[in-house]
Amino acid sequence: MSEYAIEVENLSVCYKGLKSYSIRKNLLRRKRSEKELFRAVKNVSFKLQKGEILGIVGKNGSGKSTLLKAIAGIFTPDEGSVELHNNTVALLAIGVGFIKELTGRENILLSGMLLGFSEAEIRRRTDEIIEFSELGDFIDKPVRTYSSGMYSKLSFAITAILETDIILIDEVLSVGDARFRKKSYAKMKELITQKDRTVVIVSHDSKTLLDLCDKLLWINDGEMMQFGATKEVLAAYESYTG
Amino acid sequence: MLNRAFHDLKKYFRYSVVSAKSKLKAEVANSYLNWLWWILDPLCFMLIYTFIFGFVFDAREQYFPVFIFIGLTMWDFVNKTLLGSVKTIKLNKAIVSRVYFPKFILVLSKIWINGFKMMISFGIVILMMLIFRVQLSWNVLFFVPILLILVLFTFGCACFVMHYGVYVEDLSNVLNVALRFIFYATGIFYNIETRIPQVGGLLNKVNPVAFLITSMRQSLIYGTAPDWKLLLLWFSVSVILVLLGLRKIYKEENSYVKAI
Repeated sequence: MSEYAIEVENLSVCYKGLKSYSIRKNLLRRKRSEKELFRAVKNVSFKLQKGEILGIVGKNGSGKSTLLKAIAGIFTPDEGSVELHNNTVALLAIGVGFIKELTGRENILLSGMLLGFSEAEIRRRTDEIIEFSELGDFIDKPVRTYSSGMYSKLSFAITAILETDIILIDEVLSVGDARFRKKSYAKMKELITQKDRTVVIVSHDSKTLLDLCDKLLWINDGEMMQFGATKEVLAAYESYTG
Repeated sequence: MLNRAFHDLKKYFRYSVVSAKSKLKAEVANSYLNWLWWILDPLCFMLIYTFIFGFVFDAREQYFPVFIFIGLTMWDFVNKTLLGSVKTIKLNKAIVSRVYFPKFILVLSKIWINGFKMMISFGIVILMMLIFRVQLSWNVLFFVPILLILVLFTFGCACFVMHYGVYVEDLSNVLNVALRFIFYATGIFYNIETRIPQVGGLLNKVNPVAFLITSMRQSLIYGTAPDWKLLLLWFSVSVILVLLGLRKIYKEENSYVKAI
């Protein structure tokens, strides 16, 4: 079990004046306003073994989601590197992921394909996903007609059933109503405890973190404060925030 | 880069097709006359232009309705693909911000959607050619290379349009005006070479869409061979455009999500 699933080295991600501009604004102000460089993640390094569960804590805006997106390959790192050793990866976050005018069923197929699964594999598991999402007949209605709860349920169900090697979870363990929350928590626990699955969780709930995570990473303003066993880091984080 | 492009194309090809199919289906499901619009839309515009230019302005092209229809069919493909590509990253924010995939796949998907509609339109062209008893020659075989160049050229342009559309908010306004101008300078409903003899010949050479439309008309309804040297030239230009467009997107696609 010394095989690493995620290796992050000296990772930095910047947002630099990438705001979109209109032509009028640009003509009026010839010189671009002084380069707004914002480093959201600074020099973060850690290694995660296959099957481990990592929690990330930190206050809002400290770069947790940016870090997850960098691991998922959505951002390229400005410095440093992220190595996933060819594992498939899925990012689970609130309220994202679907093409609104298409039906739930089509979205399952399309998201699955983007996650790197074959059509046959997805079709084989579609019924399971639909059942888990509890959407019933709504699955053949356009996603834009869904309530936000239904949206999240479907999104959760796809990631939970299709089982990528690495799952990145961005504060979505509180999806849906109380009953679905319980069910998704149980499913998540079941997924997580499989020893081949590597998981990174962003959460503000210390009970969840204590319950699920092997290791904890605490970042503050993009900087890595501490990385280690859950209990120690959590204690340090809680005494820091008071 | 070429290796990467081929690898990505192989991996995501099915995705582009499936997503195009689903979008076509969704388009149909939401309208009253559904798929009939794919036929009605170009047909109605053809009738309008035939009336205005054939009757009011007294145009005297042989097979005038077919002449217009070929132009409209090809123009619509270019126009819709380019306009559709400007905001495509923003419209797909949901998936762009959730998973990595090569962004040129979004353009490809647009090409399938509009290509499919173009093929329906060409089906009507064939039907009209039968009705008007157009004399066929072996030159109709130029249909394939002309279409190929049109698709490549459009794909290349659409890559750039998509890229700059991410950063320039009002690019769609500019593009709208520009495309409207090009529409009139392309000779959809008039013969560009005879109507404006001073610049028509030149326009026909430097505006690839005009040139391709003229070539298509020559080969399909007038039984003459298009200028194959110019075809070859525009083919090379299109290939280069596609390569440059792909390179641009590959280089910057991972910053898109920061800008939207």
